[in-house]
Amino acid sequence: MKKKSIALLTAAGMLAGIFTGCSREAENVQPAPDAQVKEETGVVNTVFSGELEHDVTIQVLENDTAVSKGYFEQLIKAFNEEYAEYGIVAVDANMNQYLDLANDGPYGYGPDVLYQANDIIMQYAEGKHIYPLPVESMECFEQIPETAWAAYRINIGETAYTCGVPVNVQAPMLYYRKDLLPKDWEQAWDENGNQIPDMVENWNAMYAYSLSRHEEDSSKYGYMKSLFDVYFSSGFLFTYGGYVFGNNNTDPSDIGFSAGEAEKGAWVLSQLAGAMNEECIDDSITTNAYSKLADGTYFATITTPDMYSTFLDEMILAYEEEGLSEAEAGAKAQENLVMTTLPKLPESGDLTQDGGNFLDAKSMGGINGYAISAYTKYPNACLAFVEFATSYEMMVNRSELLGVAPARNDAAETAGGTSQLLYDNLEAGNIVLMPSIKEVSQIWTPGETFFTDLAKDAFRPEGEKKYTDLDAMKKGLEAVDQQIYDAIFTLK
Amino acid sequence: MRRKINAGKILDTAVTYVILLAVAFVFFFPCLWLILASFSKSGSIYSFDGFFPAQYSTASFVKLFTDTTMYNYPKWFMNTLLIAAGSCLLGTFLTILTAYTMSRFQFKMRKPMMKTTMVLGMFPSFMGMTVVYLLMTQFGLINHLGGLILIYASGAPMGYLTQKGFFDTIPKSIDEAAKIDGATNFQIFTKINLPLSKPIIVYTALTSFTWPWSDFILPKLLLKEKNLYTVAVGLMSLDETEFARFAAGSVFIAVPIVILYFCLVKNMVNGISEGAVKG
Repeated sequence: MKKKSIALLTAAGMLAGIFTGCSREAENVQPAPDAQVKEETGVVNTVFSGELEHDVTIQVLENDTAVSKGYFEQLIKAFNEEYAEYGIVAVDANMNQYLDLANDGPYGYGPDVLYQANDIIMQYAEGKHIYPLPVESMECFEQIPETAWAAYRINIGETAYTCGVPVNVQAPMLYYRKDLLPKDWEQAWDENGNQIPDMVENWNAMYAYSLSRHEEDSSKYGYMKSLFDVYFSSGFLFTYGGYVFGNNNTDPSDIGFSAGEAEKGAWVLSQLAGAMNEECIDDSITTNAYSKLADGTYFATITTPDMYSTFLDEMILAYEEEGLSEAEAGAKAQENLVMTTLPKLPESGDLTQDGGNFLDAKSMGGINGYAISAYTKYPNACLAFVEFATSYEMMVNRSELLGVAPARNDAAETAGGTSQLLYDNLEAGNIVLMPSIKEVSQIWTPGETFFTDLAKDAFRPEGEKKYTDLDAMKKGLEAVDQQIYDAIFTLK
Repeated sequence: MRRKINAGKILDTAVTYVILLAVAFVFFFPCLWLILASFSKSGSIYSFDGFFPAQYSTASFVKLFTDTTMYNYPKWFMNTLLIAAGSCLLGTFLTILTAYTMSRFQFKMRKPMMKTTMVLGMFPSFMGMTVVYLLMTQFGLINHLGGLILIYASGAPMGYLTQKGFFDTIPKSIDEAAKIDGATNFQIFTKINLPLSKPIIVYTALTSFTWPWSDFILPKLLLKEKNLYTVAVGLMSLDETEFARFAAGSVFIAVPIVILYFCLVKNMVNGISEGAVKG
């Protein structure tokens, strides 16, 4: 009897435990205590009083490339010298670049200042883990375009808060090997005679060159890229009218991967897959592109500008293995590795057509920037650091050392080259910034499934292909929209 | 008839050897591949000539210990060594004490305690990670190697049953004889039972060392600073282009364990045989 009672009580307890999951939204969950008060009292004025905290150490989290290339050391050294009279010392937070501020911050283990992509910072902003900043009073405010600021803006009630300071623009860039161009490219591959190879000007020529390179030597390829990657592949859809969320990426109920003539973008990807090998289905090409471009197996690929130094290092290694000295290898690698903006896309979506109209390629991009943790004890010292790190000199330094495109207009002008091109693309709206709302986390899996299936299609026998025409591709994209919608709203 | 038996025996031996060789190959091949990959000259998995590196060099190992700007392997190695050695000493001490107490002393809650620890031992260790994290934040032991040593050492006595089984095999009549001669409990433990327990102490020390040496979950949870990482966490944080460094780091981490094993296995065997003669 006693045992039965205990068993019944245990069962009842477990049942009650299960039903607790069906309760309304957790009412006990509180945002960061400080953040709630600050939001009501006007955080920007109360937290950032302008009075610098004296004799303090702030922990700054930078990305790995900035640390490994020595830029971060330069930055904190310069800052520490500048603010020595106040006793403010910035140090490397010495944490993984993909930290979890939401979990570690409340216990005091996060950094004071962090450098992250806009979507990550804005997810922290929604959780009130970072401070809104008084950006209008910052020196860099006028120099950074409105599009970039918008990526860091969050609306609470009627008030808009800006939670980060844009540092550099991230968008897909075309990397190619100049020395792997055909010897007669100036005659055979420069139709408009502008001294720019056609294959880096439009995707039709890139496709044709990819096929011809592979035909000449079956172990060599032209353009190679893992197509499942939504970040890189969705730009092809955007060029033809697709988008992520409506109302400037703020309305998650309006999902637009299939909008306009996005199916033409899918068709382009499908044709490009036909000129690659089966490694385009998964992330093989993404991880092997550095060494395969260096050893000449691939002619071109696309990735973000911050990977330039990794490509360059691999090419230097490859040249050193061929017997060149370090200096010769470095010079040759710099000469032959070219990073430029994406080629144009044919209006028809047909990569085999000759002539016709071409459209500027759009791409998904991001803005990396600085934010200040809501758990810092020294907000004013942190703000001083962000001001310093986003100054003209430091942005130019950063661009020179890391090859990234500054978000500041004046720094982009000084950097010139691709940095200026990227900045111009951002202003022209060709870089569609990743949405800064939390629903963006639901787009990746359905998108990846579709792009993987599309890439696989190129290697399926004729009778088993799923996307045989534009209609089938449109239906596939509509299914993606529906899956994302369901993922966002089914349990909301 | 005689020939038939011989042929059968030969076949039996041959089949056994083939199976053993196949099993050994399955286990040995990944290790061999990793060792060869760590000596790859190019450092990239994609430049391999088929399954193995095209050229070999020790550059990855040199880089592992000299290029410490981003990935401070020597520091990670020393952290791991400190944690493993600390846990080994403290964990062995606590486990042996627990096992000896459970084996030699009779007290009221002995049986319930044994049952409880046995049931608790059935739960996977990662089940309590959230609680461990919260407790460690309250004690201020996040980002402290000592915190990890405490957790490993305090968790070690949970697996005391093997050691208890060993102490149970040492005749209690020896203890009684010593008691008649006027020995205290402490003297019986240190002067009589401990010297007889060499094999189990070595076994306990080895297991207490290898667990923290290769553990990933707990250090990942409690160590936030890169300079405090253990090798397992550090290797997981390597960039995707750092394959050769990963392979070299993985190979090198096995070295202390192998040395420790070869040094201690002799003691284990000696201890066992000594125990057998005395028993």
